[in-house]
Amino acid sequence: MLTNADVMKFLAVWELVHETADEGLKAAIARGQDTTPGDMKTDSGSFVDGLAAMVDSKKDAIKLQLAAGTDDALAERDGALSREIADLRFEVAELRGRIESMHAALDALAAIPDRA
Amino acid sequence: MGGVRPVPSRRLTIIRTFLRHGVRALLRTRLGLVGRTRSREIRARELRLAFESLGPAFIKLGQLISIRPDVFAPQYVFEMEHLRDAVSPVSFADIADVIERDFGKPVGDLFADIDPEPIGSASIAQVYRATLRDAYTPVIGDTLPAGAALAVKVIRPNSRTTIMADIAVITPLVRRLSRLGALRRFNLPVLLDEFAQSLASECDLRIEGRTSDRFAHDFADDPYVTTPAIVWPLTGPNVLTMQFVKGWHLDDARQAELAGVDARFLATYGANVFMKQVMVLGRFHADLHQSNLLITPDGRICYLDFGIMGTVADADKEAIAQVLAATVYADARRAIDYSADLGLVVADDMRDSVTARVGELMRRTFSTSPRDVRGFAIGFLSIMNEQRVSVPRGFGLLIKALVVVEGCAQMVYSDIDIVDAAKDFTTELVLKHMLRPARLYARIPRAIDAALTELIR
Repeated sequence: MLTNADVMKFLAVWELVHETADEGLKAAIARGQDTTPGDMKTDSGSFVDGLAAMVDSKKDAIKLQLAAGTDDALAERDGALSREIADLRFEVAELRGRIESMHAALDALAAIPDRA
Repeated sequence: MGGVRPVPSRRLTIIRTFLRHGVRALLRTRLGLVGRTRSREIRARELRLAFESLGPAFIKLGQLISIRPDVFAPQYVFEMEHLRDAVSPVSFADIADVIERDFGKPVGDLFADIDPEPIGSASIAQVYRATLRDAYTPVIGDTLPAGAALAVKVIRPNSRTTIMADIAVITPLVRRLSRLGALRRFNLPVLLDEFAQSLASECDLRIEGRTSDRFAHDFADDPYVTTPAIVWPLTGPNVLTMQFVKGWHLDDARQAELAGVDARFLATYGANVFMKQVMVLGRFHADLHQSNLLITPDGRICYLDFGIMGTVADADKEAIAQVLAATVYADARRAIDYSADLGLVVADDMRDSVTARVGELMRRTFSTSPRDVRGFAIGFLSIMNEQRVSVPRGFGLLIKALVVVEGCAQMVYSDIDIVDAAKDFTTELVLKHMLRPARLYARIPRAIDAALTELIR
């Protein structure tokens, strides 16, 4: 039978896990931010610290974005579409460039009898 | 190469030049008593001097060595960076003839004006300033108005024939040399074939124009990167006409700063541009040096000369990001593990010793400020060379290009640390790879298993 004390204990354990993880992350962020040349360790821990520091700076950027009311997802969707259009435009323009160059080559061939 | 006959006197000149520099190298190394590394440095220098005195084909051959750290010892690779590709220009009348043959019209009908004095002269091509006759809308970028300044690159008459004649002379010599035990592992005849192919592509300037346009498209949204627009109606196999871009070379970056450009930022940014080329786009400018880069008055980096490009297969991009991330975080074991995905395989019985040596090298070269990428690259390639671990071509080219990027950045400011730029870029990229749905789907059950095992242990 689950008692109130059990629930309380579960929540306390949950909070403890959360707090420990939070402190661990904060320590990793601090280590990642403080890394200077020569400080890096030769184990994968330094990568995790660096990643934590970058995640933290991304968090700050998201905070600012939310405060400014910008919709990231919408901007990303629009970006993908306009990228596709730009790619297509480039293919067409590149084709035009090739044709123009071929045109010049044809002119050169046509001029050979005159030069001779 | 077919159809080009070797000239006996040229063969003698080539043999004599190599013998002269070979003897000089022998004396300078005190018959090899000065130690292996120093001895290689001296031999590399003499080889470079021999190449310079033998002209275009050998200068190009030296350039090929400089981008093949997978084949040649690092001392040779880095010495060839100092090759001077400066030859005296041919007359404008000869150049005008090449232009007229490509377009079937007199030069005067093609350009509003062209200056007969070249602004650059190298073994394969010469560059002239000209003025655009009619307005033109390029593949990428704004319309160039009539009267816009142009740079016209023209293949020197007979340069291809001269180079191919030299290749015809050295081919039998190389075949004979390649049978010698010490040279067998270089597979010289295959290298020579590659060299001939790469020259053929460099001698068709339309290929360079297309690559330049593709690069411009790849970086169209980047406010700090630019390339000259190509004028296609005035471009043919032997002529590449492009917009003339004003700017400062890297060794003149102080002038750019006086004009209000943040050259320090651009120097670091260049490292990001390089990493994007390699790990995102999969094609990169493999001939970066200070004359191929400009800092423009509007605060951008202008990339020039797309004659030599490197490519990275899709499958290798993630492994490269992982190796680079492991390197910048000085994690030798991870770097060696992921290098195997790129074809750099260290045998199991050597793995621990090689990892320890690479770790020691990382500690030594990355404990300086700025971190010494060049020192690391030379050391890394030397370790692989000594351990007879073969370095795949793409891997070697990448290491070399990274060193060049560092060199370019530090030409602007000697204290710039490109590892910092690499750290942010690779961390983001590795994270992106880590979070790919397919990868998560494959790994999460194992991660949950591992977590449960840890909890109940």
